[in-house]
Amino acid sequence: MTLRFMRNKVMEVEARADGTLSVRWRVVDTFLEAGIRLTVRPPDLEIIEAEAEMPRHPYPERAVDTELIKDIVGVRVGAGLRKIVRGLMAAETGYNELSEGVLECCNAVILHFTVPQIRAGEGIPLEQKLEATRANLKSNPRLVGSCVAFQPGSPIMLRLDL
Amino acid sequence: MITLCRTQLVMAEFPDEKTVRFHGILEDHIYAMEVEMDVSIPDGVITKVTGWMKRYTNPVCPQAMDVLQKAVGMSLREEGWMSKINREIGRLGCTHFAEIILECGRCLDEARLALAVGQTLEANPQTDPNQAARDWIDAHPETMIPCVT
Repeated sequence: MTLRFMRNKVMEVEARADGTLSVRWRVVDTFLEAGIRLTVRPPDLEIIEAEAEMPRHPYPERAVDTELIKDIVGVRVGAGLRKIVRGLMAAETGYNELSEGVLECCNAVILHFTVPQIRAGEGIPLEQKLEATRANLKSNPRLVGSCVAFQPGSPIMLRLDL
Repeated sequence: MITLCRTQLVMAEFPDEKTVRFHGILEDHIYAMEVEMDVSIPDGVITKVTGWMKRYTNPVCPQAMDVLQKAVGMSLREEGWMSKINREIGRLGCTHFAEIILECGRCLDEARLALAVGQTLEANPQTDPNQAARDWIDAHPETMIPCVT
C-alpha cells in the first residue's frame, strides 16, 4: 500500500570550536516546512541565538509568527523549560510547531551530554553501573518515575535501594 | 562535529475509509524505536498499536511494550490527549514511544488532508492543490480546533 503522507523531522547538535552548541531542527512534510537554529552556550546552557523559518504551513491561519522565537533568547535549558517556552511562544494554543521544535532542540542538547555518559557505561561491571545510576538519580531526582525503568519497584530501583 | 542526530519519521496509509495507519520511527545516537498504530478517523481513537524497541539504554526498557497497549482506546481528539499520552505511555512506560505517538497524532488531520487533496488531483489533475486544500479544510472545521496540550 502506498503512503499518502510522510513527515521527516531531523535535529542535529554540533559542537563548535568556541565551545557553543549549534542546534538545527528541520521538519518537512506534504504541507509543512519549518526550520529552527539555536545557539546554546555551556555551562549554563543559555540560548544565546534563535532563528526560525516556516515557508509552508497547511493552515495559514494557524501559521506561527517566526519572530516569536526571539523571545527565548536568554532562556536556559533546564528545569521549567517546557512551561517557559510554551508560555513565550504559544500562550494561546498551548503549543505550536515552533514551540515544540524549540523543546526538541533543547532535548537534543541534553542528549548531546547524555551520549558520552552512556558510552562510558558500556562494558563496565554491573555494580559500577548501578553506582553511576545512583549518583545520577541523586543529582537528577526528576528522573525518578520518569519512565518504566525508574518507577518505584522496578528491578533497577530495587537494586539501587535509594 | 555533529555529536547528536535524531530523525523522526511519520508515515500514513489508509487501509480503509475509516482508518489511518501510522508508522512512526525515532532514531538517534542512543535510541531506536518504532510504532505502528491504527486510528479510527471519525473519533481519533487508537484501535491497535504495536511497538518495536531496537536500541535502548537498560534491560528494563522492554517492559514498556506492555504499557504501550494502554494507548488502545485513547482518542487523539480528546482534550488533553497529549498530556495523557505523556503521563500514561511516557512516564509509566517509555518516553520515546510517547513521543512517536504524539508526532503521529499531530499528523492526523494533515494525513487526512493529504489523502483528500491527492484524490482530488487524481480525479482532476488541473485542480489547484492549494485551493483543494483550502476547500477541504473549510469543510472539516474539526481540523481548526486550537491544539491544546
